[in-house]
Amino acid sequence: MKKRTIRLSAVYQALLLLFMYLPICVVVVYSFNVSRNTTVWTGWTLDWYRKLAGNRSLLEALKNSLILASLSSGAAGIIGTLGAVGMARIEWKTKGAIEYISTIPIMIPEIILGMVFMAFFAMLSLPFGMVTLVLGHTTFCVPYVFMMVKSGLVGIDKSLGEAAKDLGASEIRAFFDITLPLILPAVISGMLLAFAMSLDDVVISIFVTGARTNTLPIRIYTQLKSGVTPEINALCTVMLAVTFLLVGLSRFLGNKISR
Amino acid sequence: MKKGRKSLALLLAAALVSGCLSGCGNNAGEGGQDNAPASDGTTAASASEKKENAGELNIYTWAEYVPQDVIDQFEKETGIRVNYTNFEANEEMLAKLETSKGGEYDIIIASDYIIKIAADEGLVKEIDKEKVPNYSNIDPIFQNFFYDPDNSLTVPYGPGIPLLVYDPSAVTCEITGYGSLWDPSLKDSLALMDSERVVMGMALKTMGESFNTEDLDVIQAAGDKLMELAPNVRVLSQNQTQDFLLSGEVSAAFLFTSQVVLALNQNPELKVVYPEEGLGFGVDAAFIPSQAPNSDNAHAFLNFILDGEVGANVSQQTYYLCPNKASYEFLPEEFQKSLVISTDDVPNGEFIQDVSPEATALHEELWTKFKAALD
Amino acid sequence: MLSRQASQEAAHTVNAAGRKRNRWWMTVMPLYLFTIFFVALPIVYLFVLSFLTRAQTWGVVNEFTLDNYLKILKPVYLNTFKESFQMAVLTTLGTLFIGYPFGYLMAKLPKKTKSLMMLCVVIPFWTSALMRMYGWIILFRSNGLLDKVLMGIGLTDSPLKLLYSYPAVLVGMVYSLLPFMILSVYSSTDKMDWSLVEAARDLGATRWTAFFTVTIKMTLPGILSGIILVFIPSMGLFFIADILGGGKVMLVGNLIQNQLQSGRDWPFAAALSVVLMVFTSMMIWIYRKATGVKDLEGLL
Repeated sequence: MKKRTIRLSAVYQALLLLFMYLPICVVVVYSFNVSRNTTVWTGWTLDWYRKLAGNRSLLEALKNSLILASLSSGAAGIIGTLGAVGMARIEWKTKGAIEYISTIPIMIPEIILGMVFMAFFAMLSLPFGMVTLVLGHTTFCVPYVFMMVKSGLVGIDKSLGEAAKDLGASEIRAFFDITLPLILPAVISGMLLAFAMSLDDVVISIFVTGARTNTLPIRIYTQLKSGVTPEINALCTVMLAVTFLLVGLSRFLGNKISR
Repeated sequence: MKKGRKSLALLLAAALVSGCLSGCGNNAGEGGQDNAPASDGTTAASASEKKENAGELNIYTWAEYVPQDVIDQFEKETGIRVNYTNFEANEEMLAKLETSKGGEYDIIIASDYIIKIAADEGLVKEIDKEKVPNYSNIDPIFQNFFYDPDNSLTVPYGPGIPLLVYDPSAVTCEITGYGSLWDPSLKDSLALMDSERVVMGMALKTMGESFNTEDLDVIQAAGDKLMELAPNVRVLSQNQTQDFLLSGEVSAAFLFTSQVVLALNQNPELKVVYPEEGLGFGVDAAFIPSQAPNSDNAHAFLNFILDGEVGANVSQQTYYLCPNKASYEFLPEEFQKSLVISTDDVPNGEFIQDVSPEATALHEELWTKFKAALD
Repeated sequence: MLSRQASQEAAHTVNAAGRKRNRWWMTVMPLYLFTIFFVALPIVYLFVLSFLTRAQTWGVVNEFTLDNYLKILKPVYLNTFKESFQMAVLTTLGTLFIGYPFGYLMAKLPKKTKSLMMLCVVIPFWTSALMRMYGWIILFRSNGLLDKVLMGIGLTDSPLKLLYSYPAVLVGMVYSLLPFMILSVYSSTDKMDWSLVEAARDLGATRWTAFFTVTIKMTLPGILSGIILVFIPSMGLFFIADILGGGKVMLVGNLIQNQLQSGRDWPFAAALSVVLMVFTSMMIWIYRKATGVKDLEGLL
């Protein structure tokens, strides 16, 4: 009985992962397609990788996107985690309102948010570029981290922290030693999602970026005139490969450290 | 604690790889120049310092619309560093241009109707033709348009005429114009542009009206007529519409010039139709914003793309009509100004222009209704 | 008089002591300041914008009007809201039924596999969503991979026209929002006290009763945040409808985008956004009331 359940659950998980990875496999395969057309298969080639390597502005856009996603998911990680932990321990009347307002950026379509941010940043006379991009992206990254951590905190016994404090640990120590490890999966999930959202945002970016900073999604979504070229497939493939490399490396390092 | 360590390791690895990546980016970025890859922020600065007199040029248009090799060649010849950023819709461009009060960008390539609005708002700078000796290379057929009647503001970049294309093996009725698309045999087999003015324009043309009529009753009638087209529409799309035709998803499509060329390249069996009710016409043109920070470089760029050889290179990669008469000798035999259109047709084409707010609002409403009827 | 003053003083000292001990207000400051400055203020601007008038050709005029809101009452626009709501509900249910078991099973995996699984769930979402949608198109289009497989094994004999329809959009939406549900459920299941489930089992509950009475209840915070994280954005998403729906499915997001771009009617787009915001908030409020999640006070 038990064995069968385990096998069933494994099958379910495998199927769902297949569902999630299927379209990506197609993207990878089509990066080797001869045709410039991303949807008609004509044969194998490595040309798009060669083209990609010589495309300075595309690689620069990728670099900008990685910096942007790291900065905004990092900022959101700090603001969101501290906020959620603090909110659970204070009794302010404005608490609910602030929580509600902080989720508005994922509630309304990005395009109107982008317009509003553009007008707002111009009013503050902020120079359009990486700074405005990070500010804009952080607004929609915060709710992901906040919500994740918030639901992660529910059910964690507050007395645990109290007990640690009674044993002489400072509040900060108690937070880092007791609370943070418990909510870490939630913090990491939230930040991973925020990173993904930031890495793929196009609409807000178009409105809040300046003349010197292009991001990868802007590059991809605005190929209206040429049609998306398989260079983008090649780039996605490289990114995937690097990500998997990164995961492998971190597990390797992680094993080393814990040993 | 273990978990903390693991995430630490993940962060370390992330920093390592992204460091490598940005290193690569920089290397590629400096392509050939001799300064060593510095840290992220300083590379751009040091590059522009090195050739201080050459400076920068900020181009703003759709991605890949100015081919990468054209940009590379310009940078190499002039020492000017090009920043190429993109927008998706003309309106986004104008919103940004308004916000920066005509500054920030040096060269913008956008569509005719939006240039008209930008010019009316005083956001377009007059071109100093002294600095653009190649200006006389422009084929006069592509001048004197509504958005620039004095030919002082713009350089035509990508003119085009949208056409009907169909797969003769999949179509049983005869297709001669927009009106043929209403034929019941084309049920669920049309790909149209996801743009209300273009699709409404087709309906207006079948009624013998102008694309730009502001008569609300006429627009309403066109909207009603459009509702009858709903069963035939399989896809509305702006991007890569030709793909639907190539993969057999649809049997007829209304395509932009560049898409017509791409479709024919893949499948020469496809048939092209010049709609009998009248052609549409559109021009993407380059202009310099009123407060462009690097106006001299912008003029240099306009002069550069108007060079015969460069112009020919651009047209062959964008697949639009070639508006540069000095380029014709550099174009391969089969290109002849355009791969699909004869320039004789240009004067017959009608632009889609901005209409009154009331007419625009009605277009929007009818379009929403049409889309709701599609599914 | 005296006693009142004394009690006031006492209250004051208690308060001061309380404040001294409770220094958590510092940790919420970044959230407060950031939210007020970079979210609340822009939203106020949006609200003001929704009462202004569209200019003749470009921009807005500072003339107060209610027309933008009245316009939404036209049946054609109300219908768009209805369709979006339907789509959002179906998407939320879809992600819940598919994602909950996955998130739950993920938390039961051995520790090492768990973190790997978490990454495996998120990694697909680090590649461009547009490219993934093109991937779906290649799979699902007529005579595409799926058709060939199905016809190859003889299940169908003619190409299915799967793409560019309502179900295709739904699949795309569920696919795109699935990780929010999975990770929400996972992060609340992960720290669940399994001894309670065991206790229930010891008391004679079957596997399933234990699951429905104990596990579901304990993972409710995760379900709730998952539902919120899926429902909220699904009301406003538009590019999935454009690509997988072949531009034929019009959701509120598409409508707003159209008004901003070809319609150039910013005030109307702002009004639509305000209504969307209010509507979404109301739905979540009703949902909370209906399920009566007590210890989640404040979670929206």
